[in-house]
Amino acid sequence: MSLAIQTEVKEAPETPAEIAALEPKVSVRRLNFYYGAYRALADNNVELYKNKVTAFIGPSGCGKSTLLRILNRIYDLYPNQRAEGEVLLDGENILNPKQDVNLLRAKVGMVFQKPTPFPMTIYDNIAFGVRLYEQLPKSELDARVEDSLRRGALWDEVKDKLDASGLSLSGGQQQRLCIARTVAIRPEVILLDEPCSALDPISTAKIEELIDVLKQDYTIAIVTHNMQQAARTSDFTAFMYLGELVEFDETTKIFTNPRQQRTQDYITGRFG
Amino acid sequence: MADVAATPRYHRRRWRNRLATALSIGAAAFGLTWLVLILLVLVVKGMGGLSLAVFTEMTPPPGGTGGLLNPIIGSLILTMLAVLFGTPLGMLAGTYMAEYGRYSKLTMVVRFINDILLSAPSIVVGLFVYEIMVAQMGHFSAWAGAVALAIIVIPVVVRTTEDMLLLVPNTQREASAALGVPQWLVIRHIAYRAARAGIITGVLLAVARITGETAPLLFTALNNQFFSWNLNAPMASLPVIIFQFALSPYADWQQLAWTGALLITAAVLGLSILARALSAKKVQL
Repeated sequence: MSLAIQTEVKEAPETPAEIAALEPKVSVRRLNFYYGAYRALADNNVELYKNKVTAFIGPSGCGKSTLLRILNRIYDLYPNQRAEGEVLLDGENILNPKQDVNLLRAKVGMVFQKPTPFPMTIYDNIAFGVRLYEQLPKSELDARVEDSLRRGALWDEVKDKLDASGLSLSGGQQQRLCIARTVAIRPEVILLDEPCSALDPISTAKIEELIDVLKQDYTIAIVTHNMQQAARTSDFTAFMYLGELVEFDETTKIFTNPRQQRTQDYITGRFG
Repeated sequence: MADVAATPRYHRRRWRNRLATALSIGAAAFGLTWLVLILLVLVVKGMGGLSLAVFTEMTPPPGGTGGLLNPIIGSLILTMLAVLFGTPLGMLAGTYMAEYGRYSKLTMVVRFINDILLSAPSIVVGLFVYEIMVAQMGHFSAWAGAVALAIIVIPVVVRTTEDMLLLVPNTQREASAALGVPQWLVIRHIAYRAARAGIITGVLLAVARITGETAPLLFTALNNQFFSWNLNAPMASLPVIIFQFALSPYADWQQLAWTGALLITAAVLGLSILARALSAKKVQL
């Protein structure tokens, strides 16, 4: 495993128009991550471009989720986990100990592998996060809840039972509820950690359509085990292996003409 | 495949299975028999004395007529105060252990000490409160009794609060933290909500436990033949009255002791059933 990979110059995007359109929202620089003494990420460099979907692929245990969990510092909840390097959100290093993690997480939302509706009504599942940051009159809060559920492509299915428990929904609906809940607090970046791995194909298709719509307003990062999903949903793809970020490029390039042999091997199914 | 049923090995296994089942049933029946006998005697002897007077009249002098009003009210007051002191303290400690200090050394120390306290003989608790309150104040009092009972409530509530909060899946905490919810609100709105039924069950079990405690009250609240709201004075309670009346040579006092015992047992049974029902209804996550 040569370290030269990291320093290799990336090929420039094809046309000048594309270059101009790409605006880094999140920049990961020489990021290392440790679980106790174990180094789970080694010198990762990657960009999340504004209004683009970036997919993270790689075999289990390669550090995809670990990387995602750094971007909103959710790892802070646990002892003996630490990150070194820089993660710049709009140029500010969020790993700075002075960073207010709650404000960061309001800006960088996250949806998890297993749907995690709160044990409260569908309405409150959405309103819970909103109420923390904004004091809205009832009518505006209602509107926000409706808007969020629409963005989560769930409104039509739940508009008549907003008072039902969030737990009463099906798995796919629960996951869209979680996306709606994340959208409701108006984040700038949305992190999706294998959002479809617990869902059936129809729910998966719905969520993929949703991702396509959401990227107009948000910067999205998605971790997935499903390479077709990465190919379908993302503009950029990062391939990770054993804690290294092996290759990062436009999704079409990664899947048609990767520069690294290991990327090639993985996407053609020779390992992983 | 060979005919398994015909092999001696299979026969032996079946026989062993029957033996183990029989022994288990026997042991369960043996235990239950005594419980049923105790309840039966209580009901037979206690029911006889049950009347309206039990709930409306004071404890009588020997030979007189009366009821158990003052110890019933006393027990209610003492239990209520103990729960009022013990529950918030226990819940806060349990919350620290499960949420804020889950990975800290202090939590391990507190858990160890709490386990000791949980199984401490209640008479030791009584003596302790006697030393720090009764001896200092110079007289027995309801306050001292309530404190002694609270010391028994605390470890039970600490334990159940911690256990129930630990059962709340971390995914719920992560999901709410990911919305930018500060930790204290995650605990209040997410963790407590999910653990509520379990925590209430713990409090009810603690109440059931102190309802029958006699030893800690003998050294603290003592007893009172008269009705009293004064928390600075000795106060009657059902367990202590039962203790006193049952040891007395007077038949009518002994009868009241039986009736009191029936009342306590019924109360504890009711609380246990309520706790069971609540914990069965726990929110599934």
